[in-house]
Amino acid sequence: MDRRTFLRRAGIVAAGSAAVGLGAGAAIPGLLRRLDRPWDDDAFPPLGRPKVLVARVASYDVDLETTVEEGLREVGASLAGRSVLLKPNFVEYDPETVINTDPRLVAATVLAVRRLGASSVLVAEGPGHRRDTPFVVSASGLGERLGEVGARFVDLNLAPVTRVPLHARFTELGELWLPAPVVDADVVISMPKMKTHHWAGATLSMKNCFGCVPGRIYGWPKNVLHWAGLQEAIVDVASAVRPELQIVDGIVGMEGNGPIDGTPVQAGVLVFGTDPVATDSTAAVVMGLDPAGIWHVSEAGRFLGQADPEQIVQVGEDPERSMTSFDVLPVFEDLKTGPDGGGDPGAHAGLGDANA
Amino acid sequence: MLWPGPGGADTPPVRSLYERSAETLDRARTGDAFGPTPGAEPEPEPTALAAIALDDDAARRWLTDAQRPDGSFGLTAGPVENDAPTGLAALALPPGDERERALDHLVATPARTLPPDPVVPHDPNVPGWGWALGTAGWVEPTSRALLAFRRLRPGATTQIDGAVGFLADRECVGGGWNFGNRSVYYVDLPPFGQTTATGLIGLHALESGYGLVLGGVDALRRLWPVEGGPLTLAMSLAAFRLLGLSDADDVEAALDRTLDGPAPDVIALAWIALASGPGLSELAVPP
Repeated sequence: MDRRTFLRRAGIVAAGSAAVGLGAGAAIPGLLRRLDRPWDDDAFPPLGRPKVLVARVASYDVDLETTVEEGLREVGASLAGRSVLLKPNFVEYDPETVINTDPRLVAATVLAVRRLGASSVLVAEGPGHRRDTPFVVSASGLGERLGEVGARFVDLNLAPVTRVPLHARFTELGELWLPAPVVDADVVISMPKMKTHHWAGATLSMKNCFGCVPGRIYGWPKNVLHWAGLQEAIVDVASAVRPELQIVDGIVGMEGNGPIDGTPVQAGVLVFGTDPVATDSTAAVVMGLDPAGIWHVSEAGRFLGQADPEQIVQVGEDPERSMTSFDVLPVFEDLKTGPDGGGDPGAHAGLGDANA
Repeated sequence: MLWPGPGGADTPPVRSLYERSAETLDRARTGDAFGPTPGAEPEPEPTALAAIALDDDAARRWLTDAQRPDGSFGLTAGPVENDAPTGLAALALPPGDERERALDHLVATPARTLPPDPVVPHDPNVPGWGWALGTAGWVEPTSRALLAFRRLRPGATTQIDGAVGFLADRECVGGGWNFGNRSVYYVDLPPFGQTTATGLIGLHALESGYGLVLGGVDALRRLWPVEGGPLTLAMSLAAFRLLGLSDADDVEAALDRTLDGPAPDVIALAWIALASGPGLSELAVPP
């Protein structure tokens, strides 16, 4: 069954399942949570041994197109004849810092994906902090870069939507209304910026999927997802979007008070993968964070993808040897020191910000 | 309004910003109503804006049919009830039961609040209005509600004062508004052009909001030339016009150039037509 068919048929299974959502900002002790299995087993394949590649990339001035093409080949990407949607992170724009996936990387990925035989490629984002998407696209330089490579941009905040029942029920949302371009694409490539996140610890390929949730329904800054429980919503949304490929932009990342007000940090890596949990787990290691302490990575590792480092096949650089220790806010200091961190998944959820 | 072009009678007539935007907007309709992009499934927000901008009775009839039993307007996605267009729809509707029920809905559904939190400082006593039922208040839906009450139910002083209090509580340092938080994790957030314009539209000609307006105008004067997206420009034009400020002329010129490029989405287009045409009087509140 291809991805489109899967998403459209998803309701059949969901209709027969009891909702076990956790509600707005609820914090359930980890032990009790482990007894819950708020997902449909038959909707998710068994966890495998996915490949992840950490590539050392010193700057955006190298041959990114070839780097991306080789990275995608190494992790086993299969794009020939398939429609591809690139989902970078353009939650808002600030010329003083590095909130966004670098436009040069996005443009290079457009070209690389074409080289790999994709039948079509478009770039899409639903900025969480800005209703005026053309401003973000223009000011960030993304529009100019996409013009150079002849790629089309779609504003996911305004695109037609399709109902997608959720097979994971960490929230009580039960279903998401996702943009048709996301649902209809054969392959979604999540392209986050490697950043710390002041509510979630880190924001990587799973959290980046918030940008697929349309603001005209879920608001700006997608506040419904925060009331549903931020970390829980990350798991539910990622399990609905199911990005088949991930490219994490860690050439320059953001540390400290990310995802908006942090500080640029030269990490010098791109992380490629075919499993968002494995990719985010690996990227966390590169950031000097314990992935087991990042709540949404840990929980998604129970069903959506592989979070166990022993089961992730690293086909590039050793993540630990590629580590750049990202500063974090004090509330997440335990991510850097112990395996049981991660904080309260519901903390500050109600007033939180969006798909950054 | 048509007038001869600069080259005289032989050159094409110059069309006003309103004419250009209204014509493009009219072409974007889907049946009687409007979706967020041309030809898309109709939705309450673009339809309400277009109904005001074009003085369009067919769009108003569609809106009336789209009103939910609780009086609200919006989009429903499973348990998520987005009711943020309700204030705009009330402004678009003619006097009558539908309009009153929309206002009653706003009275009954202020945003949800959280306890005080130094990490996200806010006053829980002024909840404002949210994008969706049962979520936190934000600047744009609160400003819409404020404007609807001020124009259509000026006796709703509790709601009006509450909305002004919300905007005061969430004002950025130096004036203007971010989406709704003024600071997160001890970092002051910057104002944005579009949300600042939104706040000014809600507050124009309101004595109790004078200080907020002053700060907002200062911020918007800095922001609109830098940001310059179509929605930001259109709402800035509406704000400056409602405030009677001559900055509107420069914004209008910028918008005119914007229309030479790719067509904006329908919501931005409707705001352009609204801000540049006679429909703006439907948002104006006498001093």
